[in-house]
Amino acid sequence: MFAAENGLKSDPRLQGISEAIRVVPHFPKQGLNSSLVFFFGVWLFNYFCCCGCCLTGIMFQDITTLLLDHKAFKDTVDIFVDRYRGMNISVVAGVEARGFVFGPAIALAIGAKFVPLRKPRKLPGEVISEAYELEYGTDCLEIHVGAVQSGERAIVIDDLVATGGTLSAAIRLLERVGAEVIECACVIGVREVKGQCRLNGKPLYILVEPRQIDNCC
Amino acid sequence: MMRGSLLPRCSNSIFPPPPNSNRLQPPSLKRLSAPTAASSGAQSRLTFSQNYRTAPNRLRCSVSESQWKQDREMATGDEQQDPRIAGISSAIRVIPNFPKPGIMFQDITTMLLDTKAFKDTIDLFVERYRDKNISVVAGVEARGKPNKLPGEVISEEYSLEYGTDKMEMHVGAVEAGERALVIDDLIATGGTLCAAVKLLERVGVNVVECACVIELLGLKGRERLGDRPLFVLVNAT
Repeated sequence: MFAAENGLKSDPRLQGISEAIRVVPHFPKQGLNSSLVFFFGVWLFNYFCCCGCCLTGIMFQDITTLLLDHKAFKDTVDIFVDRYRGMNISVVAGVEARGFVFGPAIALAIGAKFVPLRKPRKLPGEVISEAYELEYGTDCLEIHVGAVQSGERAIVIDDLVATGGTLSAAIRLLERVGAEVIECACVIGVREVKGQCRLNGKPLYILVEPRQIDNCC
Repeated sequence: MMRGSLLPRCSNSIFPPPPNSNRLQPPSLKRLSAPTAASSGAQSRLTFSQNYRTAPNRLRCSVSESQWKQDREMATGDEQQDPRIAGISSAIRVIPNFPKPGIMFQDITTMLLDTKAFKDTIDLFVERYRDKNISVVAGVEARGKPNKLPGEVISEEYSLEYGTDKMEMHVGAVEAGERALVIDDLIATGGTLCAAVKLLERVGVNVVECACVIELLGLKGRERLGDRPLFVLVNAT
C-alpha cells in the first residue's frame, strides 16, 4: 500500500522525497550482458514505455541524492519510524545494500535490532542462505544464524521493490529462523507487484512511485 | 535533480529515545554461539568460536593530535574511559580465519543486535561531532567498489596487499569548502580510509576527522593517515 493512501494523503514530505530521488537512464550501462540489466530492463519495459530511446534503457532510481537532502532523508526515516514505533517490532532486516542506508536509522529510533541480509560470503559467521530467481539465473541472500530469535516481529526494508524477488527471499529467510514478518517497507515501489499488493501474503508499505526522467536521454 | 548547496548544520540526534523496550533483550552471547537446527538448504560455512574474542581487546577511546582540545571528555587515556565503551567492545564478535586464514575478523553485526550498544556507538560519535559544523558524513563501502554508483563519478585507486582497488564518489555530491567526516567500521592498514580522504580532498572538501568504531593496532593505519585526525572507540590487536 502507498503511504499516500494510508494515512499520509497530501503529506508534503512525500513530494519532497520523490523529487529528491534522481533518475539515471541507462544504468547499469546498456549492452552489459548481466542478469541485472535484463532484470531491470524487462521490468521497466513493462511499466515505463515512455519513448523509443528509453525502451531498451533502464531508469535507475538513485537514492544517493535523497541522502544529500537532509530534510528529505530525515522525512523518509521519520515516516517509517512513525509507522512502526508502536508495533512491537524487534527486528529491522535490511536488504543489501541500499536497505542498509535506511534500516539502521529506523531500528535505532524504534529500539529494534538491525539485521543485515547480505549477498553470499559477506557475513563472517555461520549463515543460512535463501536462493531466489532473477530474470536470468539466481542470486542468494544470507542471514547470520542466531541473529533473530523465534517469535520476533520483524520488518524488511529495502530502497525499492520491483518484481519482489529479493524481498520474497528476505521474507522466506526470516520465516525460516522463526520470525514473524509484519510488513515489507520500501521507499520506492510500483503499484502492484505481479498483480498483488502483498508479497508472500505480507503487506507492502511504499512511500513513492518510481519517476521517469523529464526528458528522455 | 542534484541538491543545491547545503548549509552546514548542527544536527541533534534524530533518534528519539526508544519506547519502553523492556521486552527487547540484548541477544545472549551464548545464543549466538549455538547454531539453530539446520533446515534443508542451510549452508554452514564457518563454525565460530564460542568465545567472542580470542584476543583481549584493549579498551580505550583514542584521539590523535586533534585541534579539538576542548573535547577532553572523550578519554585520551585508559583512566578516563566512557562507560559505554565496554558494552560496545563486548558486543563485537571476533571470527577467526575470515575471510582468509590468519585474519581475526571484527564482526560488528552482533553489535547491531544489541540495541544499547548500537545506540551508544552512534551517540558517542554524534556527541563528538554535533557542534563541529560538519555538513558531510562520508561512509566507506567495504573494500572499495567501482561501478556501483549510477551517476557520474570520480575515482581514487589505492593499493591492496596484492594489486589495487578503486573507490568512487558521485560528482557534485559535495562542494568545495564543506567540512566532512569520514566514517568506517574499522581501520586496519588505512588504505581504504586514505583513498576516501583523498577523494574528498580532491574536490576541495576539508576532511575534519576520520572516525572508526575499531582500530586494529600494529597495522600502521594511523600513520598512513599522517596528520589527519583519527578518532576510534575501541582498539583491537
